[in-house]
Amino acid sequence: MLELTGVSRTYDDGHPVHALRPTNLHIAPNDYVTITGPSGSGKSTLLNILGLLDAPSNGSYRINDVEMTGLRETTRGAARGQLFGFVFQAFHLLSGRTVVENVELGMLYGPQTRRERRRRAEEVLERVGLSHRATADPRTLSGGERQRVAIARAVAYRPRVLFCDEPTGNLDSANTTTVLELLRELHTEGQAVIVVTHEANVAAQGARRLRVDDGVVSEE
Amino acid sequence: MGLIDWAREATLSVMRHPGRALMTAVGTVLGAVAFVATLGISSTISQQVSSSFDIRRATEVVVSPQSKGLDIRWQDAESLTRLRGLNGVVDAGSRISLGEQPIARGLGAPTSPFAVFGVDPGALAAIEPRLTVGRSFDAFHESRGANVVLLSQPVADSLGITRVGAAVFIHDRAFTVMGIFYDVGRRQDSLTGALMPASTAEILLESYRQGAEEDANREVLIRTSPGAAQLIGSQAATALHPESPQDLRVVAPPDPRQLRREVEGNVALSTVLLSIVALAVGAVTIANAAAASVTTRVAEIGLRRALGARPSHIFAQLVGETTVLGTIGGAVGVLIGVATVATVSIVNRWSPVLDMRAAMIAVAASAATGLVAGLWPAARAIRIQPVSALQR
Repeated sequence: MLELTGVSRTYDDGHPVHALRPTNLHIAPNDYVTITGPSGSGKSTLLNILGLLDAPSNGSYRINDVEMTGLRETTRGAARGQLFGFVFQAFHLLSGRTVVENVELGMLYGPQTRRERRRRAEEVLERVGLSHRATADPRTLSGGERQRVAIARAVAYRPRVLFCDEPTGNLDSANTTTVLELLRELHTEGQAVIVVTHEANVAAQGARRLRVDDGVVSEE
Repeated sequence: MGLIDWAREATLSVMRHPGRALMTAVGTVLGAVAFVATLGISSTISQQVSSSFDIRRATEVVVSPQSKGLDIRWQDAESLTRLRGLNGVVDAGSRISLGEQPIARGLGAPTSPFAVFGVDPGALAAIEPRLTVGRSFDAFHESRGANVVLLSQPVADSLGITRVGAAVFIHDRAFTVMGIFYDVGRRQDSLTGALMPASTAEILLESYRQGAEEDANREVLIRTSPGAAQLIGSQAATALHPESPQDLRVVAPPDPRQLRREVEGNVALSTVLLSIVALAVGAVTIANAAAASVTTRVAEIGLRRALGARPSHIFAQLVGETTVLGTIGGAVGVLIGVATVATVSIVNRWSPVLDMRAAMIAVAASAATGLVAGLWPAARAIRIQPVSALQR
């Protein structure tokens, strides 16, 4: 489904930094991939390129056999909104809105009507076990609950691939376990999941484990 | 993403910090207050001015000869009868102004100069003197050329006269004081002088003139029904002197509606300028606050981009927020402006005059100010890349 061929990323701020060396990678529709590596190794760069948040300097990136390199940001943005969901370490829930409104935000830029968005948001909150907190202010939730809301927001519009960047980085071990269980269940239900982490227990969850060192990607 | 979603997103974002939003919108609040309050107060005052104007001054028409040599037949009984036949004339009569004449409390006593006016019953009715003591002279006194006077309060005070029946001397002729008046409905210059029958004034004039050229001013004074002054003003000269009406000068009050329009026109111009200055300040304040908020909301904007928002969505979001801010500012300003007009009116016992169009214009202008103010911060915001959200 996702196909990287000879993809590299170089940042040129006076002297070039090779964040990602030429990489070939294939990700299937039902993969659960974890990406590990030390800080600054290039694992976030790989995630950004896969998630269409960043464009490669060289090489070819095809999604379902459609070439994505060279596309305008508007087109990439539309593809990103339709195909991918994102979960961040810092949750990024908006204050001043209820939990269910935060989940709806994930579908705001899609084709769904307001009623459909509310229905999907309630369903997916039920799925992550937080329907009893639907009208709560996110600031009153625990870290684990907040991350589950963020996951609900990311999967509400049924993305092909769920990208998670350090999803348990701000959580204690109990909450980490809950979130990992949720990710595993989603994968079992057919959701492709790609997780970037530097935590060994999180990395161990993946059916496929990738490691990035100095911009070089290897399969463990 | 529809229009309702857009408006809802913008409002939710703004209302996350209502206090801060109001502070940001203070410029548009002031603009709207300035617009609504000054326009409202000026309309209220001009309405007030013209309504009191209508009652007194706006019913006064004065006709006088263009030159002193004009034959006095233009104000004889026949001419005045024609004039009184005009629809809208309530009272009309002749007034002769003798200028300042020496008046004394007793024969041979020191004299003081005061204005003396001869008025026939029609002119006296038009002047409407309000008496503290005594009564007005009438047609009987006019027909007899009786030596009677009405003194204004300042003249009576100056001569030390407090009761009717007292005698005063003008050019050594004795006059009986019939009454003392403190106010007049028309011809305010009467307030500093003495009134006597017109026929008496003619006799007095003849007695001290002794063949010298006449220097008295003759006029016809008309009291009209409310709103008729303009019409009577245009017809009086022809009615009095049909042979050559151009020999007469007619002074009618300015049309109160015209006056009101002029007053409101002047106020409206300065109000618009004041409001534009306030709204410009408002635009800078909102633009500044919105630009600062873009810096603190990089993660949120990046998140929205990651969730599929196109740059145009981000642009619309930011411009929508500043437009909502401007609209809220305008609405709050209109409320304060209306309250100001109402308070000023209640304190002064006026009827408030409020134009709802002014309120709508104020809100629309404030909203437009917010929209314009959002363009620059929004242009900055669309340069934020979605990857920014991941880095925070």
